[in-house]
Amino acid sequence: MLATSEAKSRPAAAATSHPIRHVVVLGANGTMGFGSGALFTSAVPRVTFLARTKEKAEGGLGAAIRMVRSSTVADRVDTGSYDADFDRAVSEADLIFEAVTEKLDLKRRFFERIDALRKPDSIVATVTSGLSINELAEGRSASFKKHFLGLHFFNPPNVIVGTELIAGKETDPALVDLVERYCTERLGRVMVRTADTPGFAGNRVGFKVLNECAQLAEEHGALLVDKLVGPYTGRALTPLKTIDLVGWDIHRAIVDNIYALAPDEAHETLALPKFMAAMMEKGTLGNKTGRGFFAKSDEGERLALDPRSKRYQPIKEIALPDLGYIDEVARLHHLGLYEQAMAAFAAADGPYAALARKVIAGYISYAFHRVGEVTESIRGVDLIMGYGFNWAPPGVLVDTFGLETTLRILDEAGVPVPALLANADPATRWFDDPYTNTGKFFVAG
Amino acid sequence: MANSKNLYILGGHQTDFARNWSKENKHFVAMMREAVLGALASTGIEPKEIDVAHVGNFAAELYAKQGHLGAFFNEIDPAFSGLPTSRHEAACASGSIAILAASAELEAERYDLACVVGVEQMKTVGPGVGGDYLGTAAWYEFEAEGIEFPFPKLFGKLGDEYDKRYGLRDEHLAEISAINYDNAKHNPNAQTRTWYMNKDHAMSRDEHNGTIGGRIHISDCSQVTDGAAVILLASERFATAYAKRRGVPLSSIPRLKGWGHHTARLRFEDKVRESAGARFVLPHVRSTITDAFERAGVPDVSAIDGIETHDCFTTSEYMAIDHFGLTAPGESWKAVEEGTIAMGGATPINPSGGLIGAGHPVGATGVRQTLDAYKQVRGEAGDYQVEGAKTFATLNIGGSGTTSVSFVVGVD
Repeated sequence: MLATSEAKSRPAAAATSHPIRHVVVLGANGTMGFGSGALFTSAVPRVTFLARTKEKAEGGLGAAIRMVRSSTVADRVDTGSYDADFDRAVSEADLIFEAVTEKLDLKRRFFERIDALRKPDSIVATVTSGLSINELAEGRSASFKKHFLGLHFFNPPNVIVGTELIAGKETDPALVDLVERYCTERLGRVMVRTADTPGFAGNRVGFKVLNECAQLAEEHGALLVDKLVGPYTGRALTPLKTIDLVGWDIHRAIVDNIYALAPDEAHETLALPKFMAAMMEKGTLGNKTGRGFFAKSDEGERLALDPRSKRYQPIKEIALPDLGYIDEVARLHHLGLYEQAMAAFAAADGPYAALARKVIAGYISYAFHRVGEVTESIRGVDLIMGYGFNWAPPGVLVDTFGLETTLRILDEAGVPVPALLANADPATRWFDDPYTNTGKFFVAG
Repeated sequence: MANSKNLYILGGHQTDFARNWSKENKHFVAMMREAVLGALASTGIEPKEIDVAHVGNFAAELYAKQGHLGAFFNEIDPAFSGLPTSRHEAACASGSIAILAASAELEAERYDLACVVGVEQMKTVGPGVGGDYLGTAAWYEFEAEGIEFPFPKLFGKLGDEYDKRYGLRDEHLAEISAINYDNAKHNPNAQTRTWYMNKDHAMSRDEHNGTIGGRIHISDCSQVTDGAAVILLASERFATAYAKRRGVPLSSIPRLKGWGHHTARLRFEDKVRESAGARFVLPHVRSTITDAFERAGVPDVSAIDGIETHDCFTTSEYMAIDHFGLTAPGESWKAVEEGTIAMGGATPINPSGGLIGAGHPVGATGVRQTLDAYKQVRGEAGDYQVEGAKTFATLNIGGSGTTSVSFVVGVD
């Protein structure tokens, strides 16, 4: 579709020559497992759903059918258990797609079994959202390492097309090309190649912003922070609602991993807020537990968290400061005047507009600092933020603010200015994908 | 009856039909703005060069409680203040009617450069209310009032009429649906490009593909879509100067070579009664196509490299196949079975995915079809390009085969 320059031709030619006919999904009862499994049935004639028990795998199939709303998924799926069916299925598979629980040791045990069984040319992919591809492949055979890579779909994979592709040190470059082409042409993915760094590109940049918002919630409360970094800043779903949706436990796993392994220029913004750790101990995990930054009372009243007191307040009783500038920015977005809207945001007075700009400046600064470390160019980060997170990509924000305004915002926010921006030609258009309507990212809240 | 003057399509733009502008909380003027500015950017035309604008829209009064859409064009750029604009409505053919109005003015030499915008914002309401609004494209009092989803039922009757006269099998309709969805997967602006679909699904009859009206199932239907499309239409005088300043030969710029336009009786039963014993089920649609061919100097459909047709339902594409002359009347199934209409076939239909796959923002569809025809003959359709296409035809239909407009777009 658009992610790679090599994916411009119609797929017929490549589709007939690729060898992927049978996919085995491990962890097919989990959301990423059955979601990805359903996606594969749109491209290959046979997909085997495996789980701890055949019943769980059957449950995954049922969920896959509901997810894509087509019973025909079942025509291409067989199901089985790790005990009864693993050896046969894995030994026959062209692609083994691992989507088991995000634990290094558990995944490694599966890979050890796979290594002993797989066909020499079969591809092994992991959907891990942050574990190191090279560490996962440690101890495996040379053939396994050559055919192993990270294929990070975002949830739900039938809707979100942004996908990260992560090669290990010993992955065959030709195989990486093949998988990229296959996913682009046959699965309709927007592919982004990233380095094997913590959180890869999307979660590294995205969860930095989310966690900074969680930190700010401690002083300002959940409601105000989600207003300040709301849709008008370039996103459909607000940051703290996103953390609630993802789950606090998943959020913690991702930011702890980045905090521990990637001490970068914005290190402290990746420290999990203490109130989150404390509340998680008491069972607060976001939407799946009914309580997160937001909740509903028994009477259905909408509540927001005050992290300092760890109490929930009815949203209608929370007094917010004057945020009139947001209404003005949203009004301009509503009419499609995105550059004027972001100019109004850049010029808005007062401490709250400054706070919102600090988060957005931090996002831009952090993303551009990752170029060369995580992706080759800003385009990779832009695509995954746009097509994986549905956020205005950092390059789109710079284009919309203009370089001069961007540099001023970064300076005023006190965030480091990336060399890429400091040395840029003001006429540079950072995001030039002709197929992306960049206006869609600016939601008029 | 050839076109009296040469008319040129300089380019255009469409919005991503997968977007939900209500979820973005946007006014339709934002949609128009993005489409028009996109067209200007891709052609290098300055706002002040536009002489006149025509807006095609079906029912903004209902969907957005707003009329007078021509005037919204003038909101897009300060240079448009004072520009003559107007809005055109002919149900789902509104976009093509706007193109016809623009071309008539250019042929009359009133103006040299017209901007034609088709626009519809439909996701402001739920499916039931939207279905009722669409019923106003039929004779509402007799054919739609109090009926849930009247249009699928009307186009189900079109299938019934084919069945009665010639026989009709569901699997051929399912194949039409599957081809459109498959083509849409290669169109980066198509609404359904990420949707799960295959022919087996189109043939399935369980709760995931329920009936909407008679033989019409969910997979037989076009989509509820928000979208806008724009083309820039120029006189020979303007196009000659434009070609010169772009450093390209005039002959490389596609022409709107021919047009056809007829309006049949509004009620479906009256159309069918009138065509009893005739060769074609919808003879006025047939005349629309042959008029466009004749004006373009095209002998018959064998000279056409591909078609963008109005598949509001699979039955309407089934009808278009024999009305275009790809088969004898009643034998559309042969073109389906023989692969004629698929990508790689002799005359691919809807490389874009059509209304089923690419989406159907009602007032924008005719402009989107013409824009896609332009892209095809320019070789700019990317992954859904029909190789070597030089001549493309469109068919845009309002109501139950009521207003029909066809264009032939080509490069020499």
